[in-house]
Amino acid sequence: MPDIFSLFQDQAEQFFKSGHTNNWAVLVCTSRFWFNYRHVANTLSVYRSVKRLGIPDSHIVLMLADDMACNPRNPKPATVFSHKNMELNVYGDDVEVDYRSYEVTVENFLRVLTGRIPPGTPRSKRLLSDDRSNILIYMTGHGGNGFLKFQDSEEITNVELADAFEQMWQKRRYNELLFIIDTCQGASMYERFYSPNIMALASSQVGEDSLSHQPDLGIGVHLMDRYTFYVLEFLEEIHPASQTNMNDLFQVCPKSLCVSTPGHRTDLFQRDPQNVLITDFFGSVRKVEITAETISLDPNLAAFESKPPKDELAAEPLKYAEQLPVAQIIHQKPKQKDWHPPGGFILGLWALIIMVFFKTYGIKHMKHIF
Amino acid sequence: MAAPLVLVILVAVTVRAVLYRSSLAAFISERVEVASPLNAWKRVVEGLALLDLGVSPYSGAIFHETPLIIYLFHFLIEYAELVFMITDVLTAIALYLAIQDFNKVVFKKQKLLIELDKYAPDVAELIRTPMEMHYIPLKVALFYLLNPYTVMSCVAKSTCTINNTVIAFFILATIKGSAFLSAVFLALATYQSLYPLTLFAPALLYLLQRQFIPVKLKSKSFWLYTMQYAALYLCSLVVIICLSFFLLNSWDFIPSVYGFILSVPDLTPNIGLFWYFFAEMFEHFSLFFVCVFQINVFFYTIPLAVKLKEHPVFFMFVQIAIISIFKSYPTVGDIALYMAFLPVWSHLYRYPAHLRLFLCLPPTGVLPHSRTLFDKARWDRGHACFEVRIVFTILGKWTTLRNMQSLGYMGWVGKVPWMRSDFKDDSY
Repeated sequence: MPDIFSLFQDQAEQFFKSGHTNNWAVLVCTSRFWFNYRHVANTLSVYRSVKRLGIPDSHIVLMLADDMACNPRNPKPATVFSHKNMELNVYGDDVEVDYRSYEVTVENFLRVLTGRIPPGTPRSKRLLSDDRSNILIYMTGHGGNGFLKFQDSEEITNVELADAFEQMWQKRRYNELLFIIDTCQGASMYERFYSPNIMALASSQVGEDSLSHQPDLGIGVHLMDRYTFYVLEFLEEIHPASQTNMNDLFQVCPKSLCVSTPGHRTDLFQRDPQNVLITDFFGSVRKVEITAETISLDPNLAAFESKPPKDELAAEPLKYAEQLPVAQIIHQKPKQKDWHPPGGFILGLWALIIMVFFKTYGIKHMKHIF
Repeated sequence: MAAPLVLVILVAVTVRAVLYRSSLAAFISERVEVASPLNAWKRVVEGLALLDLGVSPYSGAIFHETPLIIYLFHFLIEYAELVFMITDVLTAIALYLAIQDFNKVVFKKQKLLIELDKYAPDVAELIRTPMEMHYIPLKVALFYLLNPYTVMSCVAKSTCTINNTVIAFFILATIKGSAFLSAVFLALATYQSLYPLTLFAPALLYLLQRQFIPVKLKSKSFWLYTMQYAALYLCSLVVIICLSFFLLNSWDFIPSVYGFILSVPDLTPNIGLFWYFFAEMFEHFSLFFVCVFQINVFFYTIPLAVKLKEHPVFFMFVQIAIISIFKSYPTVGDIALYMAFLPVWSHLYRYPAHLRLFLCLPPTGVLPHSRTLFDKARWDRGHACFEVRIVFTILGKWTTLRNMQSLGYMGWVGKVPWMRSDFKDDSY
């Protein structure tokens, strides 16, 4: 009997030893203006996939310029399409953009990552990750060798990004981090990382451009970038229970399809990519195991007996509605006070009218009245 | 002449009543050509509803009517249709009586000039006879009442009809010669929409003419009369504005009504010229261009006064036309008022000017379609709307100018050598 107990004990300990307990995603689109439609579509498509696989909006920090759906040049307002022939509206009704328009700046991005946020910032704008969080960071936009352009006005360099990740590591803000970047010369952005447990993917090597996939003649712009398009095709087959691993993700979009050579970096990552599930980063999979056995988590705790909570006997079941005299409230209508013009006004107006009348037609008529 | 007038009135009232009951009424009320932000019925109802809820109707940019209109419709809102029909009828009667009197004056003057032999011989065909002048007042009333523009305006319950009534009464008072009543009605018209201010000049000229005071800048009696009339006008205006203060105990109505008319914040497409220009203008320049556009309305008064001082009623007509073209929120009701005057100068139409009048009609037909183009086919079709309006404007002006020219022809034929038929133009 004790063997079975220790078996379950070991299993329980195993259960709590492995990896992460929560997932976060930081999805950043660094471009604005109509002709950068594809970057917004990229980000929103990844957002959709990540939501579909289980990460809730409260754990997603979405940074978008958000000027596509309601752009006056958008022939299909309130939509952002990601496939040709407008198959898939990734904007939909339930997009929660946390940083929109001019709030997508390098400073805000770094503050989100490092957690150095002003006190009044709402929860939706914070990355409240802990040391058991797996974070997916997806960035897209226009980039160059060693930098990424934010909204046409500023840049973030690969050094800054690497330092930000080191800060995150030192503050225990992540367990494992997957960094995906879909820009021109994207591989330059992960060259400088030096913190442990980071895996990085990029859509193109240094010196190569990432190309867009399809223009749509109805909308008039390119709808997606190639790398993200094929990543999404790959992600479509993933469901919360799939066992597909990272090696398959590295094979997505070979040069024949992507024209650029995607790259990846796994030397900082402690686990073998073969053993890393896609859903470790893209989904929010809660580990649930059902057991009928009681497992004591701490041997010392067995001494403490949990007492049943005292039943607080309520005098009467208090219902909220009964506290308000509803019937009385329903029949009480606000009395509509009709507006009346003030007496002075009416008097003045009619006095004037009578004066004009008598001035025109002469006083002699008054003699007839009196 | 009463019986045909009554008949015309009955027909007009029937047409309006029928249209009120039909489904067209709702459709017409929605059209921007008929209802502008200044005079839409929807806004009047909204303002009165706000008032009933205890909120000033001038809060927010919905209601731009004057307090006297609030007072009028507060009690008469259930009889709104009747009120508008009655105002149209009153306008027609006022115009009828005015033109009747005017014709008498014109005829007397003509007789005098014939006896003084001031006309050249070949103007014989322009001399008007009592026979043809007999029907002109009826034609004016007919033109006003049965004009589709007036009918649309009335059916849409646009307060433009009330404005037209006040202007019609002003014209009646002026032609009858009562300076006091004319000043009072002009003050009322200015109070409601700012632009009838420009009608001060023709009214003054007519009254001076009636009093046989020559219009010379050095003449003392001229200045005395002008001052009297101006004083009457300004005093009545001030009294009416102060009285309006007491309706709601606030001066809110001044920015809402006059500020709105002058600064043109609402740029919904209408048949005017302001919206298209200002929709694409940078803030930096908008004040300058607003001033330019507004001055455009008032600008023609003085040159026209100098030119047309012998024909003040024609001047009044031209001025009304200019107001209705260049005002900030014109509607078809304004156009209807000046079109009503066309029969008065029908003797001028033997000249080609009248052809151009009919050229006005196709743009009228295109106007509603251009709005559809604008709505459905996006902004870049907007310039087509603007072009249509420009055509409308130009034709309107052209007609009036040709009318003027023809009128001038009649008056000057005796004086200007190269207009005489017996003048041989070899030297040219």
